[in-house]
Amino acid sequence: MQVEHLLSLVTLLPAAAAVLFGLIPGRFAAAHRWLALLVSLLVFGLSCFIWTGFDANTGIFQLTERLDWIPQYGISYHLGVDGISLLLVLLTTFLVPVVILASWRSVSVNPKGYYISMLLLTTGMIGAFLALDLFLFYVFWELMLIPMYFIIGVWGGPRRIYAAVKFFLFTMVGSVLMLVAILYLAWHHGVYTGGPPSFDYLDLVVSAPHIAMGPTFFSSAPMLLFAAFGLAFAIKVPMFPFHTWLPDAHVEAPTGGSIILAGVLLKLGTYGFLRFNRGLFSQEVWDAYVPLIIVLSVIGIIYGALVALVQTDIKKLVAYSSVSHLGYVMLGVAAGTMASTQGAVLQMVNHGLSTGALFLLVGVVYERRHTRLIADYGGIAKVVPIYTAVFILVTLSSIGLPGLNGFVGEFLILAGSWKVQPVAVVFAGCGIILGALYMLHMVQRVFWNPMVHEENRQLKDMNARELIAVLPLLAFIVWIGVHPNTFLEPMEAAVRLLLTH
Amino acid sequence: MVPTAADLIAVLPEIVLAVAAGLLLLVEAFLGGRLRHGVAVLVSLASILVAGWLRITMPLTGDVWGGMLQIDQAAAFVDLYILAALLLTVLMAGPFLARNQIDRGEFYSLLLLSGIGAMIMACSVDALALFLGLELLSIPLYVLNAFLRKTAISVEAGLKYFIVGAFASGFLVYGIALLYGGTATTNLVEMGRRVAAAGQLTPLVAIGLAMVVGGLCFKLALFPFHGWAPDVYQGGPTPVTAFLSVVPKGAALIALVRIVGGMDLVTVSSRWILVGGIIAVASQSLGNIVAIVQRDIKRMLAYSGIAHMGYAMVAIVAGGKDGGSAVLVYLAAYTLMNIGAFAAIAYMSERESEPHFISDLAGQGWRRPVVALALTVCLFSLAGVPPMVGFTGKFLVFRAAINHGLVLLAVLGVINSLISAFYYLRVVYVMYMEPLPRREPAFPRSALISAVAAVTALAVVAVGLFPTPLLRFADEAVRYLLPG
Repeated sequence: MQVEHLLSLVTLLPAAAAVLFGLIPGRFAAAHRWLALLVSLLVFGLSCFIWTGFDANTGIFQLTERLDWIPQYGISYHLGVDGISLLLVLLTTFLVPVVILASWRSVSVNPKGYYISMLLLTTGMIGAFLALDLFLFYVFWELMLIPMYFIIGVWGGPRRIYAAVKFFLFTMVGSVLMLVAILYLAWHHGVYTGGPPSFDYLDLVVSAPHIAMGPTFFSSAPMLLFAAFGLAFAIKVPMFPFHTWLPDAHVEAPTGGSIILAGVLLKLGTYGFLRFNRGLFSQEVWDAYVPLIIVLSVIGIIYGALVALVQTDIKKLVAYSSVSHLGYVMLGVAAGTMASTQGAVLQMVNHGLSTGALFLLVGVVYERRHTRLIADYGGIAKVVPIYTAVFILVTLSSIGLPGLNGFVGEFLILAGSWKVQPVAVVFAGCGIILGALYMLHMVQRVFWNPMVHEENRQLKDMNARELIAVLPLLAFIVWIGVHPNTFLEPMEAAVRLLLTH
Repeated sequence: MVPTAADLIAVLPEIVLAVAAGLLLLVEAFLGGRLRHGVAVLVSLASILVAGWLRITMPLTGDVWGGMLQIDQAAAFVDLYILAALLLTVLMAGPFLARNQIDRGEFYSLLLLSGIGAMIMACSVDALALFLGLELLSIPLYVLNAFLRKTAISVEAGLKYFIVGAFASGFLVYGIALLYGGTATTNLVEMGRRVAAAGQLTPLVAIGLAMVVGGLCFKLALFPFHGWAPDVYQGGPTPVTAFLSVVPKGAALIALVRIVGGMDLVTVSSRWILVGGIIAVASQSLGNIVAIVQRDIKRMLAYSGIAHMGYAMVAIVAGGKDGGSAVLVYLAAYTLMNIGAFAAIAYMSERESEPHFISDLAGQGWRRPVVALALTVCLFSLAGVPPMVGFTGKFLVFRAAINHGLVLLAVLGVINSLISAFYYLRVVYVMYMEPLPRREPAFPRSALISAVAAVTALAVVAVGLFPTPLLRFADEAVRYLLPG
């Protein structure tokens, strides 16, 4: 089936619903909950039409929509999807209903505001993946900031205000410099073509690689522009040493916020690297930065894993594991071979699924016991067998067991990077061992060690709602692990085009 | 000189306002009882709407009053924005004055007179008319600031504003005299043409120019002439603060664009970019950094206002048509979000004689959702977060800077807006993330003020999402503002 203006519909429907939600009085909490779920499922359903209407044989942008927005400055409302953004958009629309289900009971204060924030955030995320105009991209990119700030700050844990402000300011540090870079690119386009300036990605792909290099770093506009974009995305990923906001944000955010943060927001950083840093700059500039990105990625992999090893809080452990896992994604992006890049994109989806599931599962026991300390659990495998089984499956996915999704992504990244960056691959390989160590060590202490806390005997197993939320995630974890080609095929042409442009 | 009919018709909107201002004094004198205040508000609203309607429908006649005033697209842009600010201020002032028992007709009369001054300043192409406009703008404001005459800080605000304002006027008029000495004309267009033709600044012109720019910087509260702003903002009645924070600044900015742009100062003087850049960056940095430690929200907005004029200054320094149009758009954006913010503050304040502590807003996000949301939108807009109109303004300002090769100014500007996000966010989290205090402040409810805040906030988002008409109007206006 073909739907007119499909991309706009998927992008703007959540925001339109959010405005509508504003008119429903807050005392109808159940209505807000069910409507939010309904809207998010509808958006997911619509986004499936993007998949069915998508032609995997070509790497160019499809289903494009273009409207003049501020024509005198070369700004347009331009959306389009290629194989890379397709997967990430589907990941987003897929995770939002999961998040709403996961927040069903835990968000009891002002649920109206929570769901409005979540829907606005959805529009921001989808829009940022689909935007083909850099001004539009920036608007969506910043649009994500405000709802997430509220989600952490209003519905978060004890140190939520600190975490929310830190999240906001860190992200903004990167994005304001990116704004200057975007303005420069648009201005340069006008100079290069002798015509009007343009913020259109497809225009800038042509003109941006031609910005002249200077003799030194600080006189080389492309190097500085790359750094401006790179900083914005490196903070979002987050790459070492810009990761310090992440553990705070994750620990303080409510479960739903953590799932979205880990599942989608971080991917915008890695996506940005691929789309803009890789797509807009000449090979020369890219090559100059590759060593730096590789080194920071590898440090991130090892450092994230080592810090995760000593965490006492499960959520913090998962947060640091994200730093480590996204290191692999960045390694794959930086290595820049066909296999490593495909692996990186797939690993973005994988991380979204498995870490999203982990945060959801941590939320499940937190709702019951109001603690996330590993030491407060122990021996609960017998009490909550279903929970244990699900948790272990997700853990295995996260540490890259063959047959599950994590393995495919990591294997492609490491195998693809081996030819060009063997040393980095050796270090990254050590990271995998550390990854298994910290995850299994945590599982051991939470589920098996002797039960020392009597209150854990009364722990209830997962209920139907929680199972409904987590089962789709498990299904995809297995699907990608068993038959990754379903997901690799659509992106192949797009990745090839990006790498060879 | 005897004015012709054409001269009078050209300034009909100003005349309407002036008649209304006179009428208001009569109303005050002859009408009694509770009717009086309502009539005063209605008369002022009607006169503002009529003036706006006249400005929109009447032909723009160009040079009038012997070349003293120029009624063109630029004047129309600024007039409409001044009238909009007046309208919102009057709407906000009605309930506010009644609540504080100062509901007197003189208030509106003075406000209208001040607005006329700003409108004259905006369309004057002659230094003397400019000065006349500035005085007419300022003198009523001195009185208005002290309108809470039983409150010490209000009287103090009025007095401070008066003394500093007198200084600024002195600067300006002395500078005008020197410029006249150096160029032998008081016509700004001609003056600009002569300076640009000379290709350099003679010492006389340079000193005169410095004094004129300094005088205008006083009005704009730009570094190093910003000292008065916090006390005046804090002390004055909130609707007056809202008016004061946008209208005189707008008029002064237009004058600055006319003078600096007309002289083509960027090419005439090698030092201008340095001097202007320092004023811009120092205002931004000082405003933003000092705003962080403020506990009174009106003082905080005073410092934020200093920073915002610093951003606008970036576009003036960049120069050119795109710089000029960025200034106009920035003004419109700043007016909307600032008036919205002050309306919300006027709503959420117990007694005007007390400081407006940010901490008093704790928990109000859920208690008064409409006004709090309006304030939030305006604050995010002030911080320059899209899709609010504040972002559009900043975007154009930094775009102008980059187009003219001033990348450093753009970078320092965005770093400054990052710093500003910190203190704007603080108000937001106090409202939404901190619990209501045990003794909840008793904010008197006023549907009118909350409507002003809500409508302004809506406009902030709407214009931010669809800025094209505003940008087109500004582009059109700037062609008249900077001819050639």
